[in-house]
Amino acid sequence: MNGKPDAAIFTQDLCVGYGNKEVLYGLDLSFPPGTFTALLGPNGAGKTTLLRTLARLLPPVRGKILLQGKNLYDYSASALAKRLSVVLTEKVNPGVFSVFEFVSLGRHPHTGFMGRLSGRDLDVVRECLEWVKAADLAHRQMGELSDGERQKVSIARALAQEPEIILLDEPTMHLDLKHRMEVMGILRQLCREKGLAVAASLHDVDVAARVSDMAVCVAKGREARSGPTEQVLSENRVAELYEFEGASYDASLCTLEMRPKASREKVFVNSGMGSGAGLFRLLSKHGFSLAAGVVHANDLDCFVASAIGADCFIQSPQEPVGGDSLDNALKSALQADLIVDAGYEIGPANQNNIRLIQAALSAHKSVFSLRSKEDAQTIYGKDSSSMILCNSSTELLEKLLAASRPGLHGE
Amino acid sequence: MENFAQISKQRWTSGFIGLSAALMAVLCANIFLGSVKIDFSQALHIIMSGDDASTLGTILWKIRIPRALASAMGGAYLAIAGLLLQVYFRNPVVGPYILGISSGATLMVSVVMLTSLQLGLTQIAPYLTTLAAFAGAYGAMMLVLAAAAKIRQGVTLLILGLMIGYLCHAVTSILVAFAEKEQVKGFVLWQLGSFSGFHQSEIYILFFGGGAVAFGVYLLSKPLNAFLLGEEYAASMGVNIRLFRILILLAACALAGMVTGMAGPVAFIGLAVPHMARLVFRTSDNNVLAPGAALLGAVVTGVCDLLARLLFSPVELPISAITAFFGAPIVIGLLLRRRVVS
Repeated sequence: MNGKPDAAIFTQDLCVGYGNKEVLYGLDLSFPPGTFTALLGPNGAGKTTLLRTLARLLPPVRGKILLQGKNLYDYSASALAKRLSVVLTEKVNPGVFSVFEFVSLGRHPHTGFMGRLSGRDLDVVRECLEWVKAADLAHRQMGELSDGERQKVSIARALAQEPEIILLDEPTMHLDLKHRMEVMGILRQLCREKGLAVAASLHDVDVAARVSDMAVCVAKGREARSGPTEQVLSENRVAELYEFEGASYDASLCTLEMRPKASREKVFVNSGMGSGAGLFRLLSKHGFSLAAGVVHANDLDCFVASAIGADCFIQSPQEPVGGDSLDNALKSALQADLIVDAGYEIGPANQNNIRLIQAALSAHKSVFSLRSKEDAQTIYGKDSSSMILCNSSTELLEKLLAASRPGLHGE
Repeated sequence: MENFAQISKQRWTSGFIGLSAALMAVLCANIFLGSVKIDFSQALHIIMSGDDASTLGTILWKIRIPRALASAMGGAYLAIAGLLLQVYFRNPVVGPYILGISSGATLMVSVVMLTSLQLGLTQIAPYLTTLAAFAGAYGAMMLVLAAAAKIRQGVTLLILGLMIGYLCHAVTSILVAFAEKEQVKGFVLWQLGSFSGFHQSEIYILFFGGGAVAFGVYLLSKPLNAFLLGEEYAASMGVNIRLFRILILLAACALAGMVTGMAGPVAFIGLAVPHMARLVFRTSDNNVLAPGAALLGAVVTGVCDLLARLLFSPVELPISAITAFFGAPIVIGLLLRRRVVS
């Protein structure tokens, strides 16, 4: 990305590291106001080193950092503190302080020699607590807070410096789901409504993909990639960044899927319209090797099945099920040991899928179905009597496990 | 919110008033009570008239008043030094002697008290112990400051201070092993500290020198507060870390060294009084805590010195024995009740 002159922070051929040890190099980054930038990368890649360098807590090995067009190192300590603040991973334990007093510490660069708080200082502190939705915590002692509350208050303290850019090191570490979402929401709001430039190192790619405007991906020994999140976080790049083994990332759903090694025989799942997504995960978790078909390319089942590593038989969304996909799926179904009918609604676009189940039934395969008895009868006729009907996916799993002989078919 | 802040302010105000009153009471007790009984009205008359020629006048003006003042100021400075180092190292078990100041002083004093070195120096003999203690304390301080300019991490500095302490102790132990019994007793008693025998000049030094440093510490309370969050946060809020680190160490060592030079090592006060002050004022705000700890240190040390003099009068106990014996259980009790550590 090209540095715009109005960028809050802009780096030029920046190299960060400790002493002469280079950790990341060739960084040309820009952090514009009002944008959320996520720093992503595996542990030890240098996210924290980069953040510390941007915050002037660590000198750069070489290269330039410009803060609002001026060299970062040309600012006085307090002038810098009025423009840039940080939230570090280190758990602060300031001692006996109320939340309000703690957040007031952030007024440091604005107060006079003895640190007395003016009326305006108090107003700012109150406002900052409201920004992080922690006004009700003001009277509480710091020692009594939960990790989530403490993190919100830490952000309020950073805000109290009235900066134009906030750098956060893994702001969601150790937080429960509620606070994780709340903190990300607060950071987004600070970008949108207050126009702050926010840069945070994050571990959850899926969260980063949902909240960040820009992403910077860093990995050891590789060139950093940066740009709009949607461009940077493609499937392959995420897998490459974290060197995934046994997992995959789906960029359109922003989800991570596990790809456990199959230890049981192949199950052919006939599904559609989202009926299979949950089943794929359930079966793959229990070690079944999966095949899925025939699904339309725009079906949720198709996304999940591919992400999970199933053999997929895919039909173009404009066509009804048929043709090569159906032929291949038929072959696969007849080779599979167990067949599952996920019990989706049948319509003109997918009615040929019925032929898969019928073929399996006539080949005397074990066919499991989530349909009711009547439903199965109407759709498959009298062949349906040999189907094993299940009321729920749990029951289906039990029956499949009973029918399975682990290890024999494992690959 | 305002209401809440007001409650804190009220507590602080009443804390300061209460402690000031206690300090006055302790000073009076230290002046009017002692192994030689002096009538209250008589004592008052002697003090008012400024008579220091008579026997009782000498006892009051040359012995009790300097001692009362010395114990109050000594306690105040040790408490401030302890507070500074606890904040700097962000460690509640740190005291003013953690950086080897008392060990340095002890080493130098052992050299003059346990060897025959003093034989050649009869001219300055009365001041020799004090001078040696000063040299030792400030020698150790110089070492620590020189190291602090190079070492970035607080913990490393802490360990360095401990190591300096062990080194000094090693040399001291060797001297003790070769020393004569009589000398060893005197030395052991010196090691336990005493506020007796303060000269007028020493009181002036304590008052003006120490007072100036203590006031300087009060002026540092804003960056000290920033330091409560750790060095990196302090830096990110605009504190000049290098300068500030040197100032903290300089002030703490100067205060602790001054008291140690004149009174010998006084245990416990510097470590415990900051905790007691946090419990009294229920805050870690150094704007309140620095003067608060100083007042409380003066009161506690004054009381301890009074007990040291009176408990087994006319035998006088070492001050460190009293400070630790009565102080430690109090702190333990307070901590268990309130669960405030840092």
